[in-house]
Amino acid sequence: MKIEIEIDGKKLQVEQNSMIIEAADNAGITVPRFCYHKKLSIAANCRMCLVDVEKSRKPLPACATPVTEGMVVRTRSKLALEAQKSVMEFLLVNHPLDCPICDQGGQCELQDIALGYGADASRYDQGKRSVADKNLGSLIATDMTRCIHCTRCVRFGTEIAGITEMGSIGRGESTEIGTYVEKSLSSEMSANIIDLCPVGALTNKPFRFRARAWEVLQARGVSAHDCVGSNLHIHHRRNKIMRVVPKENEAINETWISDRDRFSCEGLHSEDRVTTPMIKRHGQWEQVDWQTALHVAVEGLQTIAQTQSPSHIGALASSNATLEELYLLQKLMRGIGTNNVDHRVRQSDFHYQQATALMPTLPVAIADIEQQDLIIYIGGHPQFEQPLINHRIRKARDNGATVIMINPVDLKHNFDVSDKLIVANPLLPRALTAICRALSEQNPDAKTSAQELLQSVTADDKHQQLAKQLLAADNSLILLGAIAQHHQQGGLLHGLATLMASLGNSRVGLLTPGANATGAWFAGAIPHRGPAGLNVAKPGLDVKRMWESQLPAYLLLNLEPEHDCANSQRALKALHNADLVICVTPYKTAAMEQYADVILPMAPFTETSGTFINIEGKWQSFTAAVTAQGESRPAWKVLRVLGNLLELDGFNYVASTEITDELQALTANINSDQQINKWRYPSQLPAVNNGIERITYWPIYRSDNVVRRSVPLQNTPISDAPVIAMSQTLAEELTLKAGEDVVVSQVDTSITLPVKIDNRIAGNVVYIPAGFAETAALYESFGSVNIERK
Amino acid sequence: MGNINHVCFRNFDLDQPWTFEAYENMGGYKAWRKILRGELTREFVLEEMKASELRGRGGAGFPTGLKWSFLNPNAPGQKYVVCNSDEGEPGTCKDRDILRYNPHQVIEGMAIAGFVMGATVGYNYIRGEFYEPIERFEIALQEAKAAGLIGLELKDTKVAFDLHTHIGAGAYICGEETALLESLEGKKGYPRFKPPFPANFGLYGQPTTVNNTESFASVPIILEKGSKWFSEQGIPNNGGTKIFCVSGHVNKPGNYEVPLGMPFSELLELAGGVRDGNKLKAVIPGGSSAPILTADVMMKIDMDFDSLAKAGSMLGSGAVIVMDETTCMVKVLSRLAHFYDEESCGQCTPCREGTGWVSRIVHRILHGDGKPDDLDLLDNVAANMIGRTICVLADALAMPVQSFIRCFREEFEYFIEHGKSMVEGN
Amino acid sequence: MNKLIAKLKSFTLWELLIGMKLTGRYFFSKKMTIQFPEEKTPTSPRFRGLHALRRYPNGEERCIACKLCEAVCPALAITIEAQPRDDGSRRTTIYEIDLFKCIYCGFCEESCPVDSIVETTIKNYHFTKRGDNIMNKQELLAVGDKFEQRIAQEKADDAKFR
Repeated sequence: MKIEIEIDGKKLQVEQNSMIIEAADNAGITVPRFCYHKKLSIAANCRMCLVDVEKSRKPLPACATPVTEGMVVRTRSKLALEAQKSVMEFLLVNHPLDCPICDQGGQCELQDIALGYGADASRYDQGKRSVADKNLGSLIATDMTRCIHCTRCVRFGTEIAGITEMGSIGRGESTEIGTYVEKSLSSEMSANIIDLCPVGALTNKPFRFRARAWEVLQARGVSAHDCVGSNLHIHHRRNKIMRVVPKENEAINETWISDRDRFSCEGLHSEDRVTTPMIKRHGQWEQVDWQTALHVAVEGLQTIAQTQSPSHIGALASSNATLEELYLLQKLMRGIGTNNVDHRVRQSDFHYQQATALMPTLPVAIADIEQQDLIIYIGGHPQFEQPLINHRIRKARDNGATVIMINPVDLKHNFDVSDKLIVANPLLPRALTAICRALSEQNPDAKTSAQELLQSVTADDKHQQLAKQLLAADNSLILLGAIAQHHQQGGLLHGLATLMASLGNSRVGLLTPGANATGAWFAGAIPHRGPAGLNVAKPGLDVKRMWESQLPAYLLLNLEPEHDCANSQRALKALHNADLVICVTPYKTAAMEQYADVILPMAPFTETSGTFINIEGKWQSFTAAVTAQGESRPAWKVLRVLGNLLELDGFNYVASTEITDELQALTANINSDQQINKWRYPSQLPAVNNGIERITYWPIYRSDNVVRRSVPLQNTPISDAPVIAMSQTLAEELTLKAGEDVVVSQVDTSITLPVKIDNRIAGNVVYIPAGFAETAALYESFGSVNIERK
Repeated sequence: MGNINHVCFRNFDLDQPWTFEAYENMGGYKAWRKILRGELTREFVLEEMKASELRGRGGAGFPTGLKWSFLNPNAPGQKYVVCNSDEGEPGTCKDRDILRYNPHQVIEGMAIAGFVMGATVGYNYIRGEFYEPIERFEIALQEAKAAGLIGLELKDTKVAFDLHTHIGAGAYICGEETALLESLEGKKGYPRFKPPFPANFGLYGQPTTVNNTESFASVPIILEKGSKWFSEQGIPNNGGTKIFCVSGHVNKPGNYEVPLGMPFSELLELAGGVRDGNKLKAVIPGGSSAPILTADVMMKIDMDFDSLAKAGSMLGSGAVIVMDETTCMVKVLSRLAHFYDEESCGQCTPCREGTGWVSRIVHRILHGDGKPDDLDLLDNVAANMIGRTICVLADALAMPVQSFIRCFREEFEYFIEHGKSMVEGN
Repeated sequence: MNKLIAKLKSFTLWELLIGMKLTGRYFFSKKMTIQFPEEKTPTSPRFRGLHALRRYPNGEERCIACKLCEAVCPALAITIEAQPRDDGSRRTTIYEIDLFKCIYCGFCEESCPVDSIVETTIKNYHFTKRGDNIMNKQELLAVGDKFEQRIAQEKADDAKFR
């Protein structure tokens, strides 16, 4: 309902129950404020937003005074200005005058408002308060003397991050903001308090003292680390990226970004960056010019295509590559005459790839996740996979939604899970089938082709209860996380989730790894379908088979197979045995120097133009923030020239937008039929091994090549170390102790890892992180392992 | 004092007046038993309360009956009654003695309040330093529970009221009702922004009424002797008797329960007059946060809510701090400012920074480093603190500061100019 | 008649004499020429010449890398790079002034919150090769160290007029 109020003589129609400050903000009337933030609860403690309200003797805080019909507000009357100016004076009593050495200088809310409301000289001439700085870890620098106690950071912790790590200690002038227990912040979104802090008390640690707000230029970017596609402002100076801050987009990331999005830029200037093309001649690496390098690459590809067959060449891309890059890569491969192109490098199961819809998307908009009544999350850790999707799930929970976790590991979440089903990893398909059976029993009207499969299992009370909750919800969503997608039965799990949705009147969404998996499907970077779902006559090899076939030539785009692939040892073996390995990559690794023959330096996401399609299907294009470093070039240009040199048709692009337009035109070809999953369920569940099984997960800060090189992120408390985690029961069975080094072996390789006891892991399952040099030597990410004492 | 009818201190002449037997023999729990038997209706009790003209004894003087009527007893959901025994106001010591000598009357008063407002759970938030009163109250509560008077499942009645004791941890600000509720919830004692008021959003977000110990202790006697009797003890609009905690330069400092509207001169006489036959200089009539009044004003004033408000001060908690001619006002203000500086919760900017600033200016004057502009600065800083914060702690320092400067400006000016006190011996 | 006078004037070299009158006057007047470098013209104490970076008496460099001089410089002659020093304090790693770009406006000195960058009254300096015109941090500090006494004196003298 709307009511009419008047602010500064302007008649406004405003929402009932809103606060004066919201009405003023919407009308473009500025009310100075420090503690108020539209995404946080109201504290009304800074008192800066005091305004003059008619019929009130005292000035009232605009942030905490609800509007009433016929209210007359004056934000700049004598009473209001006097109050605001006096509060400003009080704020400056204990605020140090160290703007010249303060990183917030030039972007400081206190500085700005002091310019408008402060006096020219201070009446306060006595000693000022000083406060010891707190150690908040490697991401956030503190200068607590500057703190004005607005408590935005404290409220962020409890309300948004979901972990109460910060608080105010002491009272009166001795009030200090800090961590209750002296420790670093462990939230995956903690660095948002840098943006929230209106003064220079909390600042960006890696960026500390390096540049001023007025020196940097701002470019728009899109995050390349998860499928949310958070909008970024990339700040750069003298062609170097200095820092990343969020760009507000209510539909996607609101005003937040994850720490991974913010600090990944620290990895851009790593020593591993390759900035000149390189070729390996007689086992020695040589830096060469582009012409030479491209010539070697093209010649190699042509030789193999002619002497053997084009289908002996395989191309693999990272799902962080842009839409344009992925499109050109598949165009190149299909131009040569092979469908061997894939991006699903972490997936283990490709059995049902023909059954899935055109591309993985969420059935609802990201912002609508918070409106769901019930969310079932299967296999994964949303907080450390897509922090901002997790934030939406958390908000849904706050709105009263039921959130159910079905996981092989009883992971900790930053919200209270309503219900959970923890089953040993190999039994995950069985659990989902049982829920499906319960659903079909409770909802006999729903038809399914999987009756035979459902009859093969029994549903216990827990399954019945979960089914009941799903059926009771009007607005429900089933989400599949990384573990479910990378599972050895990943295809089946996806199918079972779809079955659950059809029996339970729900919808399924995949939370894909990388920034552009949806784009990769659409661009046709998959062996069995062309761009926009075009049928291919004979499907090429998927990732798994590409490695297993030991092809003579591989073309890798933005990929480090030893860190990024499901079966890293198999990948390494194949690469080592290949005659030609062309790496289009921004970074080199020690392993890459062993297996590669040509390294073509490409520009990372900040240095190229491109497009990402996020998980809700939104196309977000961006331009290069800075020019590519050294001799490196945007990958779409590299692929275009490769296409030209291979004398393929349709590679004469001048700008990346031409490729985007070409793809955009393809969207017309999509028919609604392609949007639907078509599953043919087996009659029996596959047999389960009785040995020890491995679960692999990519820790939040090992997720891709840029993030892995960001030193500040590696130094946070939530960055994992390579360990082998197992439950106490399993450890006792194997007579192992925590911290003990054990030999973990798969097929013909073995590595040594320390044991970590984690009772949240169900069954005879060990939890091993990927993305580390130490764990690259292992084979299947989901499969049996042997563990022996050292 | 024989002619004064005591309310809260009516059992002081008994031996061990705090016991259950003593209280019951005096006629205690009569009203509550009637309620338990269903003989009194809520409407009747509420009307009696309104007619008694009992005004809140904690400081603000808000009519208690009116406050109780804000809660709808028939609304669904849990409601709470909270007794504020976090008596921290400097100069005040009345609740301590009520809890020490007459705890059952507080319990009965709270139970009646719970009945009127439909609240089945009550909390008594007692100042943590009150070792003996806490013990006495706790024993009294156990006695009342044992006697089947307090509890959620009482025999032969539909009425239920359970009561818990909560011990504060020594923060003055927790005497502010919303800070008290926060503290009671286990959070840091930060006052809440109002509205919403506790009557709508109180303890754990439920409707809550917070009253002072003395207010609750006055309730049983109103029902026992009738609202007319009670209101006649005082003067119109200021019903009943009030405990004044007379301290400072008097011969017999102590708690005096006297009718509201008694002239100050009589109260001073009760307290044995100014010590050593000295001349009266000034009085803070209602606890340290009330503005100070000079001797000539005080000697003409009656001690009730309206008269003191008219004179520019307030009755507050009834802590009468008497100062004779040997008192240095700069020293007094310095002590007061230091107290509020220490006790500010630090939530709102004007209070957090202002109390410290004021305290440092007064401190510097007291140490002979005052500057000629300091008085105007002090007055202006105090003015900037008033009405700009969530609770009134900032006002509680700012108002005395302004009144001290208004009443004793020469004394401050002398100190700044000469670097020493105008009053001999200081 | 006029022609006659003109002829007479030209015959007696009158015009030359008129000219020589001026020459003569300056020939006998006080000379303005100074013998540089033995002699120097007087300079205003506020003359804005060569730049210097100053230090505190304890040897600590004054500059805190606030970058106000860089921001205020109308000729974009100043380039600064900063990062935390080992002790955590904010310091410059690069501080360069291009003296070819500099217009000697003195804004850098005005904007400096710690009186670090100053323009000394030194006006006699030269460059012998390309690139010398860019003064780096060490050079600027060296100028400051060498003339600290003089700079401090000039600052103190000028202070009461500001």
